[in-house]
Amino acid sequence: MRLLTERLGADLRDLWTDEDTVEFAIDGDRNVEVLTLLRDDEELAFFMLADEAAVDYGVDAHFEVVYHLFSWKHPAWLRVRARVDRSDPRIPTVTHLWEGATFHEREMYDMMGIVFTGNRDLRRIYMSPDYRSFPQRRDFVLPDDAADSPAHGVNPLERPETWDLSRFRDAPAVTFPPSSERDDAPAESVTGGETLADKSRPR
Amino acid sequence: MTKTDPEVRIPDPIELDRLEEDRLRAVAGLTPLHAGSGEYAGFDQVGIPDRPPQTEREREVYSLDEGEMLINMGPQHPSTHGVMRLVVKVRGEIVVDIDPVLGYLHRGIEKLCENATYTTVLTYVDPMDYLSTMHNEHAPAIAFEKLYGIRPPRRAEYIRALVVELNRVFSHGLMMGFLALDMGGLTPILYAFINRDEIVDMLSAISGQRMLFNFFRVGGVNFDTNDEFLSRLGTWRSHVLTNIEMNEHMITDNEIFRSRTIGMGTLSGADAISLGVTGPNLRASGVPFDIRKAHPYSIYNELEFDVITQQGGDSYARYLQRIAEIKQSIHLIDQIIDKMPHGPVQAQVPGIIRPRPGRAYAAVESPRGLYSVYSISDGGPTPYRFRMRDPSFISLQAMPKLMPGRLVADTMAIMASLDPVMGGVDK
Repeated sequence: MRLLTERLGADLRDLWTDEDTVEFAIDGDRNVEVLTLLRDDEELAFFMLADEAAVDYGVDAHFEVVYHLFSWKHPAWLRVRARVDRSDPRIPTVTHLWEGATFHEREMYDMMGIVFTGNRDLRRIYMSPDYRSFPQRRDFVLPDDAADSPAHGVNPLERPETWDLSRFRDAPAVTFPPSSERDDAPAESVTGGETLADKSRPR
Repeated sequence: MTKTDPEVRIPDPIELDRLEEDRLRAVAGLTPLHAGSGEYAGFDQVGIPDRPPQTEREREVYSLDEGEMLINMGPQHPSTHGVMRLVVKVRGEIVVDIDPVLGYLHRGIEKLCENATYTTVLTYVDPMDYLSTMHNEHAPAIAFEKLYGIRPPRRAEYIRALVVELNRVFSHGLMMGFLALDMGGLTPILYAFINRDEIVDMLSAISGQRMLFNFFRVGGVNFDTNDEFLSRLGTWRSHVLTNIEMNEHMITDNEIFRSRTIGMGTLSGADAISLGVTGPNLRASGVPFDIRKAHPYSIYNELEFDVITQQGGDSYARYLQRIAEIKQSIHLIDQIIDKMPHGPVQAQVPGIIRPRPGRAYAAVESPRGLYSVYSISDGGPTPYRFRMRDPSFISLQAMPKLMPGRLVADTMAIMASLDPVMGGVDK
């Protein structure tokens, strides 16, 4: 951590750590400089990009692109959170540092609508090319109402407290007529020796 | 069959013609015709409505030089290990470029998980990478335990490690079978499935499910070991090494298998790190990166094992790596059974978990590489953000590097050696 503070100086914000992760935040437009330093500095040597993900903090907040890095020299995962403005969701690409970031960035573009400037292959990866929404944003509503129900995705019909039993209580008792009055009565009860099957048959 | 030297590129008559034409034009003081900037052919070639290219890379793939053509493989090609389409640019029989088209199996599992309770998430991740179900559940379980601030009992940790290693054994075994199947060898896959069924029966005895086990819980596992599981485990352990040896005899020294894997799809260690390739594929390129050692989770720091690597980096090295890892997993299983303590298998956890607001990252070594979960809690009963990094999704990026210059028939063999599972790729 001391090393991080020395090397990054003013870029470093909100340094935080838990049992196996060190985390800090940077500005979105400084991500390439910071990640290049983290990768190429001999004492830091975070050579592997383990994960790159986007987080949406809500309609009146911002996006975040989160990088997880690994180094042999430090026993913790390093998490770098880069802030992206929601009104202008642009951030420089890191595909020239790690080529494998291409698919991560395509997925983020597809799901969150974040544009990575400089990425050579920024097109949709899961949805079809003519799709126009960004399905993992918080303001994207799922077509079924289960998603924003008070039960948070649990089907309301499966929760007993939501069952409306009043219509069963007020309903009249169900009784069956005697078998002689019913249409589907057994054939023996039909008078005249004719069976129902005979009646339905055209003459 | 004559043995081909993989390092020698098969000469292509059309390419020779073009080189000769350019040479003559250079002699005459003219600019070369074929500078590699072909005309944009558009999408009509692969059977979808034509449209302008969206990116540089798309223009590059869908532009054709003289003598080149685009063909579709998939989405229903039997060898694609699932529903995926490859647009292959070929010159004659030689692959020039390749563009994987994904999304045919996309279910939006991340979005589903953000609308489900923490307990339910562990069931949603099951069908993702359907050959390593136990690993899929392991990473979210660790992440949620970190968020919630509990530790599972030690016996639960040992049972987790045991089922996870069993899962790795059958997943690697199937990869060997599929690799041989993609080269036309039908027999090994049958033996691979016989071996898999033994383990799957064992795991269904402990978990109650046959394929999507749904065995892990936040704070432990669902069931303790039972008699049927243990007796099946003992029977399996008594003959598993013999079975693996038989598989090795069937595949490893096979002349056709060797000539179609040695030198094919060679990936250097530096390239693999840059491309994000992890797991056995990375270790086959000589990089000793294994999360179980590099960043120990669960009880792996109490077990004795070394990280196995191969030096070749080609399909054959990736195959040998799988065999070595199966043996390593069996060695780990022996140790786990020896050391397994007594005690409860589930910590006290309420039915609906509401962790404190926070962030957690957990990574496990799945049979296909680094499988990690990044979960954010806002204090509610569902994760605010649930992100999964699937190793086979990232490994697919290596394909445009490995396949150019090879024959069309070898693309499937190289792809099978990377061992992607489309359920995980498309999430």
